[in-house]
Formats: sequence, C-alpha cells, structure tokens
Amino acid sequence: MTAFHTLHILNKTPDHPRFSECLGTLGTDDALILTENGVLALATEINLKTSRIYALTPDVEARGMAGTTRNSILVDYPEMVDLTLQAQRVISW
Amino acid sequence: METLVIIDQPPYGSWTGREALDMAFALAAFDQTASLLFSGAGVNWLRNRQITDAIGQKSVEKNLSAAPVFGISAILADASACRRYGLGPQDLPDGVVLTEMDAKLLARYSHTVFAG
Amino acid sequence: MTNPATPKTFTLVITGAPYSSQAPQSALHFARAALEQGHSIDRVFLYGDGVHLASSLATPPSDETNWSQVWAEFLEHHGIPGVACIASALRRGLVDEKEQARYELASENLRSPFTIAGLGEWVEGQTRSFRTLYFHAGD
Repeated sequence: MTAFHTLHILNKTPDHPRFSECLGTLGTDDALILTENGVLALATEINLKTSRIYALTPDVEARGMAGTTRNSILVDYPEMVDLTLQAQRVISW
Repeated sequence: METLVIIDQPPYGSWTGREALDMAFALAAFDQTASLLFSGAGVNWLRNRQITDAIGQKSVEKNLSAAPVFGISAILADASACRRYGLGPQDLPDGVVLTEMDAKLLARYSHTVFAG
Repeated sequence: MTNPATPKTFTLVITGAPYSSQAPQSALHFARAALEQGHSIDRVFLYGDGVHLASSLATPPSDETNWSQVWAEFLEHHGIPGVACIASALRRGLVDEKEQARYELASENLRSPFTIAGLGEWVEGQTRSFRTLYFHAGD
C-alpha cells in the first residue's frame, strides 16, 4: 500500500456539516475512510476529492450498500487498523 | 507536537463546544501546545455581547477570554465561515486570527481533535 | 511510512453514547482488531456523552447487546484502563462511590472496571500513544 499523509475517518452522512468540512481539508496526499453513516456517500455522486477512498465493509454491508461502493476499496477492521498506522496523522471527523 | 482543537458547533444549543474548550485548556495545563479553531457554525462563539441570563447558561465569551491566560497558543477562525455568518474582522474578539481551514492549515498540527 | 507489523500503542477516545450512536460499537471492533494484530491499547477515555458507556444501570432489552457490559468485560479481560472524564460524568449523572459521598448522592452507578478521572488522563494517553483515535456520534 502507498504511503499517505493524513487518514481522514469520516462517519457522517453527506448532509452533515462536518462532511463538507472534512472534504474541504483533504490534501492531495490524503486518504479517506468512510465508516458508519459515512458510507452512505457512496450512494451519491458527490465528488470525494481523493482517489484513495476506503469504506468499512461491516458498515457498507449493514446499510445495504454492498453493490454501491463506487471506486472505494472495501476494508475490514484489521485493515483499518493498518491504515491508521500507515498515515502520518489521523483525523476523526 | 501541537494539537488543534476544532469547535464547529455553535454555543448554547449543545455542550460540545464547552467540552472542546476544556480539552484545549487541559492540554495547556499539562504543558502541551494547543490551539483552537472555530469553523462552520462554531464561529458563532465569537460574537460580541452574548446576553445569556434568560436561557440560564453562562456566557461562553468569558470562558473564551480566559484562553490566553490558560496558555492557549492561538485562536483561529475560519474566514469563509465568518463571512457566511456575517462576522467581519472588526466583530471578532481581540487576538482571534482569521485563517482558511484547509489541508495546509491542518498539516501544521500533529493532532486535530473534536470534542464530539 | 510505518511498518504496520511493528506493535504500536493506541489510546481510544469515545465521545458518542451507546444507544444514541454507533461509536461504542465501532470503537470495540477497532480495539479487538488492534489487539489481535499484536498492538496494545494504553487506555480508553470516555468523554462528553461517551461517559454513558460506563453506566452500571443501562438495561437494554434482552435481545439487544448491553454495550456497557460488553465493554467492561473487554477492558477487564485485557487489563485496559477505562476512564470516564469526571466533568463529563458528573454533569450527566455518572458517579463512583467517592463522588457519591462527596456530593451526598443517592447512589453510585459506575460500572467496574471503569474509573472516573480528569482530562489529564486523556492528555497522558495522547502523549504516550502512537495514535489517539476518536469515536464520535455520527449524527
């Protein structure tokens, strides 16, 4: 896996104000992981501003989104743990 | 190692901002460098003349004015959020620095935290 | 780039309450995965509404998971300190025996092994850990 600067953990729906705040601060070397309600963004056409988009499989499946994952990479919890360690910093939105 | 504590919720309607301020004060009390950033609707913390007696809460203006005394390194406010809520530079308390909340800003801090 | 195989220490901060948010569940799944990979958890800090996780009185219907109980068992089993912020806890009616006596309250309701302490515990956790992760409410 490639190195990246900041891992943004986003658990809010696109209708939450913090969703836009998060996207507004994504740097070119940053990665985004969608968890909990955040995975619902994959059902929309919102520009997620980065090519490194991960989505947490249990939350994707729980919300009936398994067939709607766009260009995201599905990860489980152990992979999420790895991602938090590969980043130089982590921000939980 | 510097922590940025972000307050993005307005005062009085929830306790999250107060609890964020407490986090920043705690960092400073334990000799960690901490700054505050008001973003989104959180910039409404910065208004003058908040008269809160009738809602039974203490004004957050006083809490915030204690920040430099507690050793908070900087108090920042997102310029575009201030514009959205009609807050001009002259409306902000002394010492508040207007900035843009973007990747470049957050990259300056080793930790960026919200209280909730 | 950090080699994920090297054991690292995490501090987890939970600010979302059980039954109002998914935060305690997400944090628990993350914590289990971290330990299974050989990492360690320095402490779990409950802040804001997250302190409700430390209640010994929460009684969900029998077909729902009791997240307070499951978390307490997890902490106990792995010897991980679980600390509720004292200011958050007292505001929200979460008290241990000491605070019950101090404020002459009718009862205490802190579930063992959770303890109550100040924000200094969070600062120390952040200072000592390679990563401090936050689990907020999603609404």
